[in-house]
Amino acid sequence: MMKTKSRHSLAIGVFTAIALVVSAISLFPLVWMIISSFKEAKEVLKANPLRFFPTVWVRENYVKLFEETTYPFLQAMQSTALVAVSAALLSVTINSMAGYAYARLNFRGKTLLWRLSIFTMYIPGITILVTSFVVVNSMGLLDTYWVLILPGLASAYSIFFFRQFFLNMPMATEEAALIDGATRFRIFLSVFIPNAKSPYVIMGTGAFLGYWNSFLWPAMTVTNTQYLQVMQVIRSYNNMYSNAYGVVLAGSALAALPPIIVFLIFQRHIVKGLMISGIK
Amino acid sequence: MSTKGYHSPTRRMDLRTGYLMVIPSLVALFIFVYVPLFMALQKSFTNWNFYSASEPVGFRNFELVLQNQLFRKSIVNILWFVLMIIPAQMLLTFLFAHALKGMSKHLGAFAKTAVYVPTVISGIVASVIFLFIFNYQGGIINYLVRQMGMKRIAFFADPWLARGIIALTSMWMGFGSLSLIMYAGLMNIPVSYYEAAEVDGANTRQKFLRITIPSMKNVFILVAISLTTGTLQMFDLPYLMTGGNPVNNTLTPMMYIYNNFKSADYSMGYTVAAALLMMIVIGTLSSFVFRLIRSEKSQDE
Repeated sequence: MMKTKSRHSLAIGVFTAIALVVSAISLFPLVWMIISSFKEAKEVLKANPLRFFPTVWVRENYVKLFEETTYPFLQAMQSTALVAVSAALLSVTINSMAGYAYARLNFRGKTLLWRLSIFTMYIPGITILVTSFVVVNSMGLLDTYWVLILPGLASAYSIFFFRQFFLNMPMATEEAALIDGATRFRIFLSVFIPNAKSPYVIMGTGAFLGYWNSFLWPAMTVTNTQYLQVMQVIRSYNNMYSNAYGVVLAGSALAALPPIIVFLIFQRHIVKGLMISGIK
Repeated sequence: MSTKGYHSPTRRMDLRTGYLMVIPSLVALFIFVYVPLFMALQKSFTNWNFYSASEPVGFRNFELVLQNQLFRKSIVNILWFVLMIIPAQMLLTFLFAHALKGMSKHLGAFAKTAVYVPTVISGIVASVIFLFIFNYQGGIINYLVRQMGMKRIAFFADPWLARGIIALTSMWMGFGSLSLIMYAGLMNIPVSYYEAAEVDGANTRQKFLRITIPSMKNVFILVAISLTTGTLQMFDLPYLMTGGNPVNNTLTPMMYIYNNFKSADYSMGYTVAAALLMMIVIGTLSSFVFRLIRSEKSQDE
């Protein structure tokens, strides 16, 4: 009895230690970035863990960041927010409609269209990177919000995820409404969407994060200051401010904030979605 | 499928609604995936560039790409990244998932949140952070190095250290989501398996080897392949942290393709041929994952 008891408390100690060490490794780099962004320029690159906190807390890095005129920071944040939020909303709209139709409706050619959609999962972004540029260029979309929003909206994975969810809802879901004479689209709006909060949140936050964090596609397609995305301007700061790295850190800290906030708000759903994708 | 043999009173209306609901996504996939794909397939057999008309050149682009020293270098580099990241990441996430299983509810919830935060951070921000941590002049790591009485290390000037730091950053970013997938896999193993083994007198090691590992096989494959396909397309981290240097030792295929695209010295047909070669590898791997998902599904239903 004694042996198992001490073993048990040993196990608790070990698990607690693992949890704390791994959590610290995960969070330290972010905390270090945030803390350092409040240090004076001369102190930023004098890393001294014994002096974890700034000797003097200063706003100068943030002031410089907001005064930056070549690549205006707040404008980039606004433009990115506009793109990421509208893309997330449009993306769940078109993908959930498709997922619902493939799951619940019968129409000729359904299997073929479903396969055509799903096949796009096999086509990696790297393969169509250059020719996608040619396509948007010939459509006259370069340097617009459209070029940032449109290409990533339809997602085979998202359609697949929604279809799976709608397939698993019981048949009785629409029967009563059908007898009452409601149209299929009306049923989708009034019965299915209200009962599908989880996939909407999971796919919506996923799209938001993908758009917010994207760098390569914006770097290829927009150069006009008005449309610059936040990751593009941070990359430019990284080249410009090597001697005032606090500014780069300040920009990065602010740019990392929206994804973290979105994650913390929808944490429960996101983790659940991830677990489902792991099992199924 | 459950929709088969299902007769609804409004069948004809279904038809129209069905098309209307799938059309937006189909049009988008057609314009932004299929058109670029077919264009790539067609152009890869020509000497096409942005400035002049293209002529057919047969398989020459593919031959030239495969002979190109820089493209080969980028392939070797990315294989090193795969070798550095995948085994280590799989082992660490599996061990951590195991630890999560043993943690109390509150501790586990905290640890899950903590490890997941870096996974929502962009590659660009992660690069900035790790450039700062490993900075030559005043990075925290060089501070520790000097405390130990050694000279500062120029981390990004050494091919292996630079690769190592990029691999580390990538692992830091991916650790949370992969751990949770592993954890979900572990939680999915029926407790009755372990109970039955205990009745038969199995010890911890036997249970681990005979139950845990075999039950996790599909999760391991899923994680390994999605990690590999992701790593093969790595771009943001080496682009920002090293720009492919020192002497192209961290140049990845994605960067190679992007640089060709930017420089316009090469014909686009050539660049697209390189991109198609990457698709063969990545597409094969992802089709394997998808087949796995489908077989799992059909077992469920």
